[in-house]
Amino acid sequence: MDGIQLIDVSKEFKTADSYKVALSSINFTIHEGEYIGILGLNQSGKSTLARLLNGLLKPTRGRVLINGMDTDSPQQLKEIRQLLGIVFPNPDNQLICPIVEEEIAFGPENLGLSPSEVHKRVSWALEIVGMQEMRNHAPHLLSGGQKQKVALASVLAMEPSYLVLDEPTSMLDPLSRREVLEHLRMINQENHMTIILISHNPEDLMDAKRLIVLNEGSIYMQGTPKEVYGDMGKLGAVGLNPPGLYQLIQQLEEEGYRIDDNFETIPQLVEKICQK
Amino acid sequence: MSKIIDIKDLSYIYLPGTAYQQQALNNINISLNQGELLGLFGGNGSGKSTLAKLLNGLIYPTTGRVTVCGIDTSIKALRNDLWKKVGLVFQYPEQQIFESNVYDEVAYGLRNLDLSESEVKSRVYEALKRVGLIPNSMVNLSPVKLSGGVRRRIAIAGILALEPEILVMDEPMAGLDPLGQKLMLDIIKARQENKTQTTIIISHNLKDILALADKIAILEKGYLVFYGEVPELLNHIDILSKFRLELPDYLQVAYALNARGIKTNSEINNLHEAGLELIRIISSQKGKF
Amino acid sequence: MNDIKLGQYVHGNSLIHSLDPRTKIICCTFIVIGILSSHNFWYLLAFLGLILVAIKYSGTPLSSIWRSMRGIRYLLLITFLFQAVLTQGEAVFQVGALSVTREGVVIGLINLLRLVILFLGSILLLMTTTPMKLSAGLEFLLLPLNKIKIPVQYFTTIISIAFRFIPTLVEESLSIKDAQRSRGARFDSPKILSNLKSYLAILIPLLASSMLRAEDLAEAMDSRCYGGNPNQYRMRTLKYDRVDIYLIIFMAIVLLAGLLI
Repeated sequence: MDGIQLIDVSKEFKTADSYKVALSSINFTIHEGEYIGILGLNQSGKSTLARLLNGLLKPTRGRVLINGMDTDSPQQLKEIRQLLGIVFPNPDNQLICPIVEEEIAFGPENLGLSPSEVHKRVSWALEIVGMQEMRNHAPHLLSGGQKQKVALASVLAMEPSYLVLDEPTSMLDPLSRREVLEHLRMINQENHMTIILISHNPEDLMDAKRLIVLNEGSIYMQGTPKEVYGDMGKLGAVGLNPPGLYQLIQQLEEEGYRIDDNFETIPQLVEKICQK
Repeated sequence: MSKIIDIKDLSYIYLPGTAYQQQALNNINISLNQGELLGLFGGNGSGKSTLAKLLNGLIYPTTGRVTVCGIDTSIKALRNDLWKKVGLVFQYPEQQIFESNVYDEVAYGLRNLDLSESEVKSRVYEALKRVGLIPNSMVNLSPVKLSGGVRRRIAIAGILALEPEILVMDEPMAGLDPLGQKLMLDIIKARQENKTQTTIIISHNLKDILALADKIAILEKGYLVFYGEVPELLNHIDILSKFRLELPDYLQVAYALNARGIKTNSEINNLHEAGLELIRIISSQKGKF
Repeated sequence: MNDIKLGQYVHGNSLIHSLDPRTKIICCTFIVIGILSSHNFWYLLAFLGLILVAIKYSGTPLSSIWRSMRGIRYLLLITFLFQAVLTQGEAVFQVGALSVTREGVVIGLINLLRLVILFLGSILLLMTTTPMKLSAGLEFLLLPLNKIKIPVQYFTTIISIAFRFIPTLVEESLSIKDAQRSRGARFDSPKILSNLKSYLAILIPLLASSMLRAEDLAEAMDSRCYGGNPNQYRMRTLKYDRVDIYLIIFMAIVLLAGLLI
């Protein structure tokens, strides 16, 4: 069966004198082609969740199934990791090779593909993130944003069905951040890859079709961005604020003005209002 | 008010005379009064971090002059003591932590000042309080085991303890979650309340800077494209349009209205006021029908 | 920083640059065997001439090579002096209790020549071959060792990661140094102990961050299914030309000549 399933998943870490609960009783299903946002502050368990999805961590209780394969079984780990790629937060610490094109070839090579197929995928992935010209550069000469795009391309080149991104933008400048988010949107719409974007920044997750809010290791809220961001009180209680756009929409709706269109930016909203 | 920083015709060239030669800063002029908060905004390779190092004498101008607290940084003998006056908090300062407990880490700079141990102790405790930590429960902990956000605050305490006249912070918010960002804002605002302390915040995030600064400097590829007080910036449509999507939310509304030629009734200072203005516009349009 | 670092790759378009890295590695191996097995002074001198011609041909400025030679001048001097003094034989002249022997001077000169040739040969290899080509060539040549259970590809992965991270670590150490200087750390203090502490203030954070990097890197590699495969993608750039074959045959003859003399 296709999709990602978490069945009653808990994860505890042993510390010096006690157990620390990182996640408790998480249940959800993600279908192929979805764009999911996972929102939470540090310590909410979101990075643990990312590592559970591709078997870097094993659940203490419960099961994590990727296309029906259990991450607990070592034989299927390689297949799971081919299906589900992860981009990590720190662009510097996930680039392995001294040359950009080798970096992107690293994953496909490990899958045992032929050099010509690898070559094809490297070119394809570089093109998606718009980094063709950097092909023969050394990663340390790139900016943080460029490094993160290379990291994204290197996972794309494995052609996963599911793309998990753990805080991919938290170390980037606003411009690179927008570029990365734009790439993700395209990858979801045109390549039909499933996107699972994990972030502490509510604005990062405005493209998601469904949000899961984590707080202290449990699912705190779930729903469309409009539903989740529309409940300012509940979000605010755990230290999160909806993006400004949704705050404005809520303010207008409280005054009895219905906003039906889907807006992506504040200028778009203002534009629409002025045209009415 | 007295000028505490005076930068005149400053240019800086990296590795002059080599194949790697690069002009990092071009003819920069900035002066800052005591007690002001300057927001220094720029993207990758704008030269903003180079400027920070010039301010506390880690590097010195290729041409032009940087005068800080009355000290000309091109005079080598004086430059070496500049760190006592200009505290520099680097990007990801938690990475520089090396002592085995929090107390020694915060005290490291103080001990380089050759202060008495009792003076060191009182300053360490005071600095930890100022970054929102409880000294008694912190001082004996090993920094390794603390979270990134707390480690960053410890690193900042290590600089605040030196009681610098000027505090320069390079990307203090980078990588923090909303809660951590709020704590950092509180630290900076508390410093701002003291009218004698000067602060410079360097960031690639215009939102962070506009929320805090008295004056704004915008660097682009080594050139100063804007320098002035915050309200002045709002009149510079050309600059605002360039950073349209990086403005704080309420200014995005104000700017978008402005661009449509719609006069706003009152000044918009926050998101709620921006919302009220939108509501006013919608209701006035209904009046037409 | 302003100067070309010793043995750092310098871009060029000479024949030597365009040789297959495997050819260059094989030739260097021949050189090592050749000069270590021959005791003939004239043969070694001829060898030196050969290398100098190659250096000239590669377009590498002789002045920069000469400058880098100065770095090992004491090593060369000491080698020569020890041999000259410690070898038994017919004394040429006497300095106090030590006597310089004729045999000693000859052996000293031979060893001096050997060192110089080794040094120049390896510098030429490094300065005309990109690190990546070098490691691809090494990996290819060592790969047969896999058959006797020596995991060559792990070594080359390690080398590759080192090439990737050395610049990053250098950058990081410079920025930590600046940060500690801003807290009053001194690196030129007359007190040795305080200098030592300053260097520890760089070293400890650097180690801590490297460990963190290593953990992150391991996760990134695991996530991309790393299983110790040979780097076929890098090796695909390797290509033998006719020149490569000629050169290897030529060097084999030179080597053989040395063994026979």
